[in-house]
Amino acid sequence: MLDKSTRRDFLKRSATVATGALIIPQIIPSTALGMGGKLPPSDRIVMGGIGLGSQGTSNMRDFLELRNKVQYVAICDVDANHAANAKGLADKANNNKDCRIYGDYREFLEKEKLDAVSIALPDHWHGLIYTAAANKKLDVYGEKPICRTIKDGQTIVSAVKKNNIIWQTGSWQRSQTNFHHAVELVRNGRIGKITHIEVGLPNGNKGIGTPPVKEVPAELNWEMWLGPALKVPYRGVSHWDWRWILDYSGGQLTDWAGHHIDIANWGAELEHTGPVEISGEGVYPRDGIFNVPVEYDFLCKYANGIEMRVANSARLVHGGGATWYGEKGWINVDRGRIEASDPKILQEVIGPNEIQIYKSDNHWQNFIDCVKSRKEPIAPIEVAYRAISVALLGEIAMTTGQKIQWDPVKEEIIGNPAASRLLSRPYRQPWSLPTI
Amino acid sequence: MKKQYLIVLIFAGLLTVFNACQKQNGTAYKALIVTGQNNHHWKSSSPILKDLLEQTGLFSAEIAQSPDKGGDMNTFNPDFSKYSVVVIDYNGDSWSEKTKSAFVDYVNNGGGLVVYHAGDNTFPEWKEYNLMIGLGGWGDRNEKDGPYMYYRHDSLIIDSSAGRGGNHGKRHEFELIARNTEHPITKGLPKHWIHGADELYAQLRGPGKNMEILATAYSDTAKGGTGRDEPLLMALSYGKGRIFHTALGHADEDGGPALECVGFITTFQRGAEWAATGKVTQKVPYDFPTQTGSSLRPDFKVLTVEGDLAKIAQYDITKSTKYYSDLQSHIRYEAKTPADYQAFEKQIIKVLESSEASEDGKKLLLREISWMGSDLSIPVIKELAKNEKLKDVAEYALARLQPSK
Repeated sequence: MLDKSTRRDFLKRSATVATGALIIPQIIPSTALGMGGKLPPSDRIVMGGIGLGSQGTSNMRDFLELRNKVQYVAICDVDANHAANAKGLADKANNNKDCRIYGDYREFLEKEKLDAVSIALPDHWHGLIYTAAANKKLDVYGEKPICRTIKDGQTIVSAVKKNNIIWQTGSWQRSQTNFHHAVELVRNGRIGKITHIEVGLPNGNKGIGTPPVKEVPAELNWEMWLGPALKVPYRGVSHWDWRWILDYSGGQLTDWAGHHIDIANWGAELEHTGPVEISGEGVYPRDGIFNVPVEYDFLCKYANGIEMRVANSARLVHGGGATWYGEKGWINVDRGRIEASDPKILQEVIGPNEIQIYKSDNHWQNFIDCVKSRKEPIAPIEVAYRAISVALLGEIAMTTGQKIQWDPVKEEIIGNPAASRLLSRPYRQPWSLPTI
Repeated sequence: MKKQYLIVLIFAGLLTVFNACQKQNGTAYKALIVTGQNNHHWKSSSPILKDLLEQTGLFSAEIAQSPDKGGDMNTFNPDFSKYSVVVIDYNGDSWSEKTKSAFVDYVNNGGGLVVYHAGDNTFPEWKEYNLMIGLGGWGDRNEKDGPYMYYRHDSLIIDSSAGRGGNHGKRHEFELIARNTEHPITKGLPKHWIHGADELYAQLRGPGKNMEILATAYSDTAKGGTGRDEPLLMALSYGKGRIFHTALGHADEDGGPALECVGFITTFQRGAEWAATGKVTQKVPYDFPTQTGSSLRPDFKVLTVEGDLAKIAQYDITKSTKYYSDLQSHIRYEAKTPADYQAFEKQIIKVLESSEASEDGKKLLLREISWMGSDLSIPVIKELAKNEKLKDVAEYALARLQPSK
């Protein structure tokens, strides 16, 4: 819920200097070409957007702010108002009226010739549309969490790898100085060997009861909004508030897993594995259509002995963010802050012969740079999948009330058929998740 | 339920002490509820408290009824020493010196005590009783009786300023905040939970000795409160005795939400066990309220799986999902083995097979059975898949239960 406002505020506060320093050298070639600061068309990345609600529009603005290196030429949204607003933004930036609008991503992907696409959709659509974009060989900037289920995630990872596309996850905290600094300190042993980790994510939403069934507004294609999810009547809940309904999301837990669990994994080198045992409890609303856990607290054990506790921030000593506890101290990092057991730890400088962590000062720029260089961006697909897997396995432990044994190599739940069924959410016909 | 209890009371007639509990099936501890005078509906609350104590399976409970107000209190001499815990649902005339002395001896020698709601209003002049309850209100209590105690910004404030003791605003639902989550009574309960509509006692004052505040609630000025976090659940000691003090539970003529609240019920039951034994063996119930909302037990009965399924069978998509959520909680808390799942599954199958059950209800049950069901469910799900309205969700369930197909 805090994601959007906090993010923009924070970027304004912290990134002004960095943006200037980063952007200016890169426009020198275009000015040298005498194009009035604009890149020649061949150097410009031609993009489209799928899902232009609050987060999708926010991403689009971030790309357009990259000094004309990105051009949006097509928009796809199931809400005609969203699409029209986004077209307005694109047309203004392009100084024309040409941005094309689609209501069906299949037509959009079929007709448009693009370099890259930015995608920001409710999680239940990620499996199908991320996979379809990858299969079209488009480079993708995709919102976290990258999947609603483990099965969706496995399919998306395979599609991205098989098609060899450039993928950037919207886990933009990776491109922030304080998170980078914290991870670099932890990786270089400044708090010693890691023993355990705490990840604090926001508390849940209190719910709205059971609103009456309503007529679908003219601008919204409800059938297409639901897509592969089970058909339910429209109750005035779609944009934004899908976050509180299990058919579409796992709540704050899965929303924020792509941020703080991702950062925790980055610091503790757990980016390419997963826990072996997960157990915990959630607090669920007792009534109403919002049914995601409003409080959650689960413990993940890793094969190397590290334990990671994930909970709503009110339950943790350090509140929100990622906290690594090592043999010599601890570091906590959250938006707008970094703290340590001893403040001197934070003043440590990482020497040239020490471990250098991938550095990006602007998450959207990093994607565009990689689209051109074909190098891996700072938030690649598999680490995003491993971050959300932790939350999805926690969700399964809380749903079943059972201790879950997980094989992070085979990516299977061991010895629990009921829990294993929760690794997927079957798609409603005619939709089906392709086999990659 | 009110009617049943009234009949019991009438039947009990003139007996000052009676035992209406017929099932003496080896309960470990005896409890005595002291009542008979109160500015609250004691004829409703005392039988409810008795029922709640007996529901734990730990207690057999009796009710000691005092003479009416103005009656001869010399006739009121319960033998406290026979009991492991005494519950005070009483706010009235002073007891005789003999009874007071026996009560002090009882607690001093390790007897358990539960002070319930207006039980902290009574006996303002009795010094030893006020040491037991820690904080009290009304009865002309003021600065002479001890300081106000409350929380502000997570700090306990002990405030000796002059003023009345005891107050409350309008009845409303409010949030309890645990101040001690390690005490046996509160351990394992959520730190925050919403209590059913109740009087929120405020400005309690007293000696507050040997007292731990277990939970407070913010007394909202908008509801006529003090703007302070007021103590509502306390644990104390007096001599060898343990005391649990709950300021919650304002009783209507027929009980009402303050008593039906699972938070009240659970803390009362756990507090009584702790007062009697020093330990709490009761599990936190699956329907304990959360920060998201209160949880009431109509007629003081736990919602059963059978009851939930009967309601789900009548479910209409426009209505609340309460019973479905409750069924999910039962499964989450109670099913641990494949056999447990199958027991739930068999009950669900009956509803799925029923021609009486609503399609909306079946849709919900098909979602649940999709993960916790087994091959047992396949025939009925296949049958339901023929119904156009249930086809999608039946296929959803089949896709999970038969992934190869």
